[in-house]
Amino acid sequence: MAGIYVHIPFCKSKCRYCDFTSFPDKLNLAESYVACVCREMSKRSPAAEGVNFDTLYIGGGTPSVIDKTYIGMIIAAAKKYYNLSPSAEITIEMNPGTVDESKISFYKKCGVNRFSVGLQSAIDSQLADLGRCHTLNSFVYCAKLLKGENFNADVMIGLKNQTAEDVQNTIKVAHAFGASHISMYALTPEDGTPIYTDYLNGELPDGDEVAAMYAAGLSCLESLGYRRYEVSNFCKEGKESRHNLNYWHRGEYLGFGVSASSFFKGVRFTNTFDLDEYFKCILSDNFAVIDAQKPEGEDAREEFIMLALRTADGVCLQDYKSCFGSDFLTDYAAVIKKLSHCLEVGENRVRIRPEYLFVQNSIIVEFFA
Amino acid sequence: MSDSKYIRNFCIIAHIDHGKSTLADRLMELTGQVSERDMEDQLLDSMDIERERGITIKLTPVRMFYSADDGNEYELNLIDTPGHVDFTYEVSRSLAACEGAILIVDASQGVEAQTLANVYLALENDLEILPVINKIDLPSARPEEAKKEIEEVIGLDASYAPLVSAKEGTNIRDVLEAVVKYFPAPSGDSSAPLKALIFDSYYDNYKGVILFVRVKDGEVKPGDRIKTFRSDKQYDVVEVGVFSPGLLPRQSLSAGEVGYIAASIKSIQDFAVGDTVTNAAAPAAEPLPGYKKVQSVVFCGIYPLDGSKFNDLKDAIGKLQLNDASLLFEPDTSVALGFGFRCGFLGLLHMEIIQERLEREFGLEIITTAPSVSYKVVKTDGECVYVDNPSHLPSASEIEHMEEPIVKADIFSPPDYLGQIMDLCREKRGVFIGMTYLDKSRVKLEYELPLNEIIFDFFDSVKSRTRGYASFDYELIGYKPAKLVKLDILLNGEVCDALSMIVHEDSAYPRGRTLCENLKEAIPRQLFEVPVQAAIGGKIIARETVKAVRKDVLAKCYGGDITRKKKLLEKQKEGKKRMRSIGSVEVPSEVFMQILKTNKD
Repeated sequence: MAGIYVHIPFCKSKCRYCDFTSFPDKLNLAESYVACVCREMSKRSPAAEGVNFDTLYIGGGTPSVIDKTYIGMIIAAAKKYYNLSPSAEITIEMNPGTVDESKISFYKKCGVNRFSVGLQSAIDSQLADLGRCHTLNSFVYCAKLLKGENFNADVMIGLKNQTAEDVQNTIKVAHAFGASHISMYALTPEDGTPIYTDYLNGELPDGDEVAAMYAAGLSCLESLGYRRYEVSNFCKEGKESRHNLNYWHRGEYLGFGVSASSFFKGVRFTNTFDLDEYFKCILSDNFAVIDAQKPEGEDAREEFIMLALRTADGVCLQDYKSCFGSDFLTDYAAVIKKLSHCLEVGENRVRIRPEYLFVQNSIIVEFFA
Repeated sequence: MSDSKYIRNFCIIAHIDHGKSTLADRLMELTGQVSERDMEDQLLDSMDIERERGITIKLTPVRMFYSADDGNEYELNLIDTPGHVDFTYEVSRSLAACEGAILIVDASQGVEAQTLANVYLALENDLEILPVINKIDLPSARPEEAKKEIEEVIGLDASYAPLVSAKEGTNIRDVLEAVVKYFPAPSGDSSAPLKALIFDSYYDNYKGVILFVRVKDGEVKPGDRIKTFRSDKQYDVVEVGVFSPGLLPRQSLSAGEVGYIAASIKSIQDFAVGDTVTNAAAPAAEPLPGYKKVQSVVFCGIYPLDGSKFNDLKDAIGKLQLNDASLLFEPDTSVALGFGFRCGFLGLLHMEIIQERLEREFGLEIITTAPSVSYKVVKTDGECVYVDNPSHLPSASEIEHMEEPIVKADIFSPPDYLGQIMDLCREKRGVFIGMTYLDKSRVKLEYELPLNEIIFDFFDSVKSRTRGYASFDYELIGYKPAKLVKLDILLNGEVCDALSMIVHEDSAYPRGRTLCENLKEAIPRQLFEVPVQAAIGGKIIARETVKAVRKDVLAKCYGGDITRKKKLLEKQKEGKKRMRSIGSVEVPSEVFMQILKTNKD
């Protein structure tokens, strides 16, 4: 099963930590942009003939910031040009400060059956520090509109002045308003973003403090009935994000729009990050790909391992064998022995022990050549 | 062939930054050796490191022609000398090739300790000394006092000393006139059998070993068959010439001249620095006196960062030794660092320079262990051994007692800083010997200090505590019994031999503590807790703990991120590859340098 990703590079305002391709001042281009995305989907479709698609994910940026009818156009195009299963998971990302009742009911009419809401923190001062354009109240309003729906709430840890208790409270808020899925991830201060200055000034919690927040969040989530299925992703039973699981299982996906990436028929390729360039390419009836690589052999194996070890289930020995034709336990016997205290070797799986999941890089790199 | 009457061979002695290279440049400029336009500042200092540090390490001879006021044209051979105390051996080599030495004295600072050592060396070699007062352009210049100091401290007649400013080019001609007038022409007999002293050499890829020689007697020309007194190997001379400053071929070299010989010599062992070259067909009866045997004072281990580069390191050290006979080395192995070399140096600066040259000129990445000195170990069975490598120290039960090398140090300073210097010397287990006021503003302090206390940061401490005013010089005077112990460092319970050192019992505790603290900072956190311990014998005297890593994760990893995140992990992996494994602990090479830091100030 394959996935489709559509990138919406617009937002109301740029968050202070944001490192994604997103433009707060170009909303006027949304209509042309969506037209181009549909055109790109059409142009790519012959390559995907006979491929079944099971998920559609509209991310950004802030997809909920553009006119709701554009979202309808995108979903319609996906259905028109691709073999999208009737039971497909269709997700849209939303900023709680940009939604209203009519948007959500329209999305549902168009087939959206999963929502991802950027809560980040239940504490307004922390939201302000992040440069988020919403407050706790906006989330409450949004969550009420989503009552009974399958929705995710994003929760960030490692924020300025944040305590482990704050993290737990934010999780409790998301839970109280019915989130079926919670994504808890650490703030990464990227060079070039405004929040990087906070980092340089030593205003952000250090690694040990973030680890403590993660541990506090983890125990809170587990006690509330959320299962960790990937280092940053937790859900009620059966509510895993199928779209994201597909990434970690190294499945195929097509990405559309500026900066979107694809992994299709063994090739990883990425569109331009430049909006004007994207328009120019698509309008002149070309693709907008700037980089394409076919990871093979060791590269492919390392990708597989890097992605699989993020998940709670780890590497599936059967999958590994069917992908690469060799035996994982034999290929990496020495590493597995060296890391025996961090790894759990089961019948058909090798996974990182739960207590080591948050230091997984040190473990994963051991598998790299 | 030149008449030796019109040849002058000389060198320049000066304290670091008193302006030796600048004066040499001016002399070359004035004699038309190089045009001002083509001149890169400080021509003689051609090694990158020399230029950056403003010091001269290697001997670089150059030949100039000067039309003197007496109407004759003279050939002047200038052989540059290093100024730092570490390079005394190099200095003595250049002195042996000269009849005269210019002594540069800074008009504002007067005579410095390091200068004295070289002046005495020159006097021992029967060289004529011409004092030159430099930097007279400085507002603080006091040339008359400088002259007086030369007369009082060294006992030289300074009345005819030229007063110059090498920087501004003032009175440079006076120097050349004085060289011609006061320095003797080389003696020697061009018709006698060939005797030429090898004072330096280097390896040229096309010509083989190039010998830098001072011809004392006789003559040498292409086609001659030459040999040395030490080896039976004979070679046919292919080319002879002079330094201009590049190699300039000539028909012959004869008594009194300084130049080079190329004879397709493959091995430096056959024609070592200090040997005398003679004609194989008509040999001289006896060799010239050679050099004092080099004595290594400071030792350390040098290992390739990447264990597979051992042979590259071997070649590089071998090549450096070609023109730096004072560098001694022998293969060594370490449990922690694998195959490498134990190297002996003339001093700390010499060690640093060799390390830098290996890295820069040969592009090698190396790990060096803590510098050590050579200890005398008297064993219970009466045997006496010298140990410079802590891991070769016999076990405590076999040692009757140990002795450490002691130096006599002369520290010259303005009186204002006496307190600070005396405090420092006390900290370093120094024994006060005496104090002399050289004049109102300069005092000479004499101390006996253990060499192992000054090889770490003594020089820097002297400078920093006296705001750079003090200078210091030392000479080895012998061995004295001392309570010495071997300090081991354990990482996760395993001794890391590359971090062991021999220290005085009294400083073992503070040293062990500081080292553990420094190592704790330098060792990256691992997947498990790593105890860092210092131990004497089996007894643990200090402990720190490197906590286990708690967060090492890439936050989100979705579709577009995969390639980018994999690159981040690959970078992390590269970093790991540059580390050494000590037992189960991965340690970056910088860790081995931590041992050099004695405290955190």
